[in-house]
Amino acid sequence: MDAFLDGFAVVSQPENLLYCLIGVLIGMLIGVLPGLGPAATMAILLPVVVTVDPVAAVIMLAGIYYGAQYGGTITSVLLRLPGEASSVVTVFDGYALAKQGKAGTALGVAAIGSFVGATFSIILLSLSAPLVAGWALDFGPAEYAALALLGVLLIATIGSGHPVKALIAASIGLLLATVGRDSFSNAQRFSFESMQLADGLDFVVVAMGLFGVGEILYNLEERHGKAHVPAAVNNIWPSRKELRTAAPAIGRGSVIGFFLGVLPGGGAVMSSLAAYATEKRISKTPERFGRGAIEGVAAPETANNAAATSSFIPLLTLGIPANASMAMLFAALLVLGVTPGPQLLEERPDLFWGVVNSMYIGNVLLLILSLPLVRIFVRILRVRPAILAPITALITILGVYTINNSTFDIFVMIAFGILGYLMKKVGFEPGPMVLAFVLGALLENNVRRALLIFDGDPTGFLTRPISGTILALFLVAALFPIVQAVRHRRRAPVPDETTQREDVLR
Amino acid sequence: MRKQTLSLAVVATGAALVLSACGGVETSTGSDDGGDYPSGAVEMYVGADPGGSSDLISRQVATGLSDELGETFSVINRSGSNGALAAAELEQAEPDGSIIAVQNASLFAITPLAVAEGEVTSIDDFDVVGGVSRDDYVLVTNADNGWATIDDLKGAGKKVTYGTTGVGTGSQLSCALTYSTADVDAEAVPFDGGAPALTALLGNQVDTACLQVGEARENLESGKLTALSVFAPERIDALPDVPTATEQGVDVEVYQYRFMTTPKGTPQDVKDAIWEGMQATFETEDYQAFNEQNSLTPMEIPGDEVVEALETDKQRYADLVEEYDINLAE
Repeated sequence: MDAFLDGFAVVSQPENLLYCLIGVLIGMLIGVLPGLGPAATMAILLPVVVTVDPVAAVIMLAGIYYGAQYGGTITSVLLRLPGEASSVVTVFDGYALAKQGKAGTALGVAAIGSFVGATFSIILLSLSAPLVAGWALDFGPAEYAALALLGVLLIATIGSGHPVKALIAASIGLLLATVGRDSFSNAQRFSFESMQLADGLDFVVVAMGLFGVGEILYNLEERHGKAHVPAAVNNIWPSRKELRTAAPAIGRGSVIGFFLGVLPGGGAVMSSLAAYATEKRISKTPERFGRGAIEGVAAPETANNAAATSSFIPLLTLGIPANASMAMLFAALLVLGVTPGPQLLEERPDLFWGVVNSMYIGNVLLLILSLPLVRIFVRILRVRPAILAPITALITILGVYTINNSTFDIFVMIAFGILGYLMKKVGFEPGPMVLAFVLGALLENNVRRALLIFDGDPTGFLTRPISGTILALFLVAALFPIVQAVRHRRRAPVPDETTQREDVLR
Repeated sequence: MRKQTLSLAVVATGAALVLSACGGVETSTGSDDGGDYPSGAVEMYVGADPGGSSDLISRQVATGLSDELGETFSVINRSGSNGALAAAELEQAEPDGSIIAVQNASLFAITPLAVAEGEVTSIDDFDVVGGVSRDDYVLVTNADNGWATIDDLKGAGKKVTYGTTGVGTGSQLSCALTYSTADVDAEAVPFDGGAPALTALLGNQVDTACLQVGEARENLESGKLTALSVFAPERIDALPDVPTATEQGVDVEVYQYRFMTTPKGTPQDVKDAIWEGMQATFETEDYQAFNEQNSLTPMEIPGDEVVEALETDKQRYADLVEEYDINLAE
């Protein structure tokens, strides 16, 4: 409890408050810009923040992530243009409301829902993280191996996008993880006798390439000379009746968001889809959805914020990033000399509680700031990508050099940037690849470590309670889609909602 | 209005550029006679990530040298391959003292036992200025196991697992030699560095581990871990109650030490200037407090003695590994 309160002392230092504010502002800003997501922004800013104190840096990067969830709403509602993948479903009802002259109401409900969802999640995070970290000592190599395996599967199957494509991307990520020195036998793998590759590909450089450079290239092509005319915003406060309609949706969105955020492969995008689908399914008047149902805005916007927050749990307690943005934060922590994992809570309580508690404050800031700033953010959309792209590209290149002082890294980053661009172009998300790349080393090393400890007996994975349970979950998660597909085929084919949503994503 | 937004973006970018550019500094050009060394900023390469003991020691020495010699000595992390990457860059640098490095003994004495012929880094490619400090290893176990000496391990009645901080490290060598010499059935479990090995030991995932004293000290003091032995020639100040392996009849002496190096062919007066600066640093209270806090034993000996120690240790380790038929890379 003391450490928890000390965390507030950490956040209330003026420097940290400032970085929190900068973080949420940047987050909202990039949330507004379609294409540029939080992972890409963290990738671009990473080299800049390493000069800052680690606590302040992580507070700022965290702020970018959850701030983006607020910003994404704005363009979804006003322009029918999701600024963020996690606000895609908000488009349906948000824009419909805007056309009815209720843009203010939609934004107001979204902001309130976001705040409630995030706060709900932070409270659960504050309560549960120390518990999970307490179990962390029971997490041996076998448990990490099982968890990494489950993570790779979930990332590939339940994320947004095409599952087969995600699986392919994840497999490539796993392969990339094997490059470099085998840390058990010191044998060189796929390093072509290059000293630069001897220790494998640097995760930070790969992620900066795929997310940062890849996004820059992709946006340059996508957003060419489109002019946007935003809807007018008036009367931000929703009426009592509207609030009463939205409240249960906000409640359900909080819970769905929290749990889906914790899952590897989950996070803001998936939870917003799930929350929207849930509302539509349980509504007595599902036909209103897509025509301006207030729940259709409240639920996904609440869920994506709740998920953005809860996805910090696996990262901060086990050192396992649940989604692409968390993978970037993982990289940032490594660059800052902090290893995320079970020992973090004990070794750096200032950082742990400082970051967690900064979210309480960051969300208050966002609630206060998001609505008055709407007009300014909408104007930012008019900055042409042709101007923005070279500037961000320059920062990224300078930045990747400063991390390891290596020119080789610049070329690696550019190569992965091109790969990331090509992947997006043909409908592959780079996210699963990067996450599998992180989890790949974790998976391989821990399987081998566990087998050394078990003296070569693989049944050890099944007889240990925690790893056994995780592997059982793995089996369920692996078989579920197959069972569902079989059942689906038996019934008459129904038009599938998810395919429609994917079309919007493209 | 659009112009305003634009200029805002440009200003922000400019600030970011300046921030990222801060890392680069003008380096010392150095003259051939080296009489006025250092004539500009000096870069000190470290073959390890920020935060580890190699990095901290380099930074402490760099701070001291900056104070004593009046120019900026900045630490540049070039981690990879146990330090071989940084060593390769230092080897190719101009021998004028503008790029120097504190290097680890393990790279020259232990790593060669675990890597292919072509990957071996040789001390002959460098000039050694002088020694810095020694970092000892300690064999630890979870207090729950109730073991207190190496002898207790013999009665474990099972295959004992030991965590190491990686393949080709002093941690692995000290543990492997101990178990072979004491004839205890054991299995090595390599981790990526000291922190994960420590976590695994605290969670009883492995039975024992060989760690650097600084990594284990806090948990030894709190009683969560028990130290079974140190591998120093004599008992160390940080853990005066822990017997050495030799005292327990297990003849294993393994330690890490660090020393200042320059590229081969660096003028003598440049090396003298660095060494004088280092010796002045060693005298400061700050530096001595740093050593104590990090459980480091001073090893401030001249360069030729360092080279001698490296050659002896390398041969000694190679002989032991052969005698007990230990394969570090498996």
